[in-house]
Amino acid sequence: MISLLHKTMSGQQLSLCMSSASFKAESAPQSTAYNSAKSKLSHNRAYSSLLVVLLATLLLSGLFFMSLSVFSVQSAFALTTNKATAKSNQTEGNGVIGGKETRLTWEGAVEDEQVSQLTLQLPEGSDLQSATTKVTVLSGLTREKIEATASVEGTQVVISFATPVDAQKLIRVEISGMKFPADGGSYTVEGTYTTEQGTQKLASSPQINIISNTPVQALVNWLDAQPWVEAWNSNHFLGMFLKPQLIVSSVVMLFPGWLVCLAIVICAYPVAIVLGMGFALLKISKNPLLRALAVVYINLLRGTPFFLQIYILFFGLPMLNINLDTNLLGFIVVAINSSAYLSEIFRAGIQSIPPGQYEAASSLGMNRFQTMTFIIIPQTIRRVIPPLTSDFITSYKDTSLLSSVGVMELMMFAKNLTTSTGNMTPYMTAALFYLAITLPLIKVVGSIEKRMEQSETGKTVSASVSKTQAISKEEN
Amino acid sequence: MSFFSFKKKSNTEHPALDAEVAAQEAFERDKPLTNHTFEAGEHPIVRIEHLNKSFGSTHVLNDVNLTVWPGEVVVVLGPSGSGKSTMLRCINLLETPSAGHILIEDQEITGTNEAEVNALRRDVGMVFQQFNLFGHLTVKENVMIGQIKVLGKSKEEAEAEALKQLEAVGLADRADFKPGALSGGQQQRVAIARAVAMHPNVLLFDEPTSALDPELVRGVLDVMRNLAKNSGMTMIVVTHEMGFAKDVADRVVFMEGGVVVEQGTPDVIFNNPQNPRTAEFIGAIA
Repeated sequence: MISLLHKTMSGQQLSLCMSSASFKAESAPQSTAYNSAKSKLSHNRAYSSLLVVLLATLLLSGLFFMSLSVFSVQSAFALTTNKATAKSNQTEGNGVIGGKETRLTWEGAVEDEQVSQLTLQLPEGSDLQSATTKVTVLSGLTREKIEATASVEGTQVVISFATPVDAQKLIRVEISGMKFPADGGSYTVEGTYTTEQGTQKLASSPQINIISNTPVQALVNWLDAQPWVEAWNSNHFLGMFLKPQLIVSSVVMLFPGWLVCLAIVICAYPVAIVLGMGFALLKISKNPLLRALAVVYINLLRGTPFFLQIYILFFGLPMLNINLDTNLLGFIVVAINSSAYLSEIFRAGIQSIPPGQYEAASSLGMNRFQTMTFIIIPQTIRRVIPPLTSDFITSYKDTSLLSSVGVMELMMFAKNLTTSTGNMTPYMTAALFYLAITLPLIKVVGSIEKRMEQSETGKTVSASVSKTQAISKEEN
Repeated sequence: MSFFSFKKKSNTEHPALDAEVAAQEAFERDKPLTNHTFEAGEHPIVRIEHLNKSFGSTHVLNDVNLTVWPGEVVVVLGPSGSGKSTMLRCINLLETPSAGHILIEDQEITGTNEAEVNALRRDVGMVFQQFNLFGHLTVKENVMIGQIKVLGKSKEEAEAEALKQLEAVGLADRADFKPGALSGGQQQRVAIARAVAMHPNVLLFDEPTSALDPELVRGVLDVMRNLAKNSGMTMIVVTHEMGFAKDVADRVVFMEGGVVVEQGTPDVIFNNPQNPRTAEFIGAIA
């Protein structure tokens, strides 16, 4: 039904074309079409003298275009838009960044009629100041020799052909050195084309996605232009592992993964501490059943790889029809795994308090609860802080194993970025993210141990303060 | 301390241990053995009757009998492994006796439950060979914590008492230090202050100077001597310090092989021991 309608309408249009062509012969020939308004005017004048023909066809053509807009856009145009793409100007990845020079390629096919002028309307805010336009007309696979001029008016590129381009030809417009708006977003290329019948609107091109040009992107652009960066990257190792542009951009792209890592381990750790303390107390309890329970729990978890525990939880729970969010599963598996190690730390901490401390507390008349609360636990906590922190470091690093089961954490982001760029630099950036937490913590462990050593062998806090004051006085 | 206010209730469970009878018997037995000045109607503060203690098959204490009077300073001598420390630790139930009875102020303490044991221990102070100060607390807090948590004193009261006792042992200027910052001798003096601040009826010393460097021993012994002579504290001291025993003790007890071999005034034990083993031991040390 629709295709039948098309055929009929095409016939109508054909007759319209013929009549306009015959009329055109009478009027002054327009060899140059810079002034499209003048061309339009001449067309109008021609139509006015053929008012009857026009009126007769007007209704039908109006109906025709209406039906086109409803049913099928493409076949209605004498010049169809095949594609509009922008060349990637990203150092890594294949996106197009706004505010940075790129090459826009627009292709359209001339269906019928002859196209004498083509105007491409680029997105508002595009920069065409240093743009150069290259027009190619293809017939099949062969390039045709044409004469055309192009001019830029704001964000418009007007291309005029010396001789109109025939039907079945392909017009390719390449605008090099143009910049899309820096804000980014999805843009289409609009435009008009002129045939002997007048000026028609071009169909919108497919959307071109533009990445907004952030300060980071600007920094990458700047780095791109630096000679030393080029020299640096020309070294195979440096360019492969420490590419400056990729370091800058991957810091931004890996950041969400880093947050996931931190969130998982920071949420899991308090739970692990509570669980660990519970199992530590069970393990030193007098009830053999409770003790056995704790031993089984601790030894099973400490005796199997964390990787295996991840697999069991991530693939086992769905089989029981328990489907949880992967981040939540990650949190659970980290908490359970850490709790086993922490319970051993706590147990060792409690048992490391010399029996003399219990006896001294007892000899003062303290009951067992008071002894634990005021004497034993405070001293245990001091002793377990260094191993506790070390275990936290281990747990934090172990979140990387969660990438194997699809948790979108730091390692996963780094892996994806490396895959898409073919460069190892994202892994180096991930290492920086891990070190940003682990190095300070390692230092903290060291200073706590040092302070504990001091408090057991010599200085007190107040004594050391007065000492530093004395030193600063001397310096003054 | 006023020992007249002691409750003189008779022990119905153990009629043989009736307080009045036992006090009279002990008085008769101990009168020639001690320099202690007895008062009329005085009851012993500690009574150890037929105490036995074994660890597995090792018999450490074998039928030990000893009475200690209020204000008396008893020094227990003997070679290593003679059971002196075990006997001392039985008095505040850090070791549970295998058989026999221990009475403090005429109250049976053997076979009591945990709450009663805790109540007992606050009246029996102890100073350990290894000091056992609480490492996470300052010197002052070490002396305060028992007063606050066990005696229920306010922080201010406890602090005033702590400073007073630290002054007495010459360590008021170390009140805010951690024990780790002190020498062994200073730590032991703090431990004594901690025990004295609880105002116990009896103070037990378990080889208080054995872990100290020789030059630090004197300071601790001076504190103990001062305590014995000036405060009238009842003290049971297990030590190897012969000079202290001669100088301070009201009575010297010589133990060997888990039994009390001989006891008597320092003069008798050091100058005229009746038992050849005692003579041998004193001779070897002196």
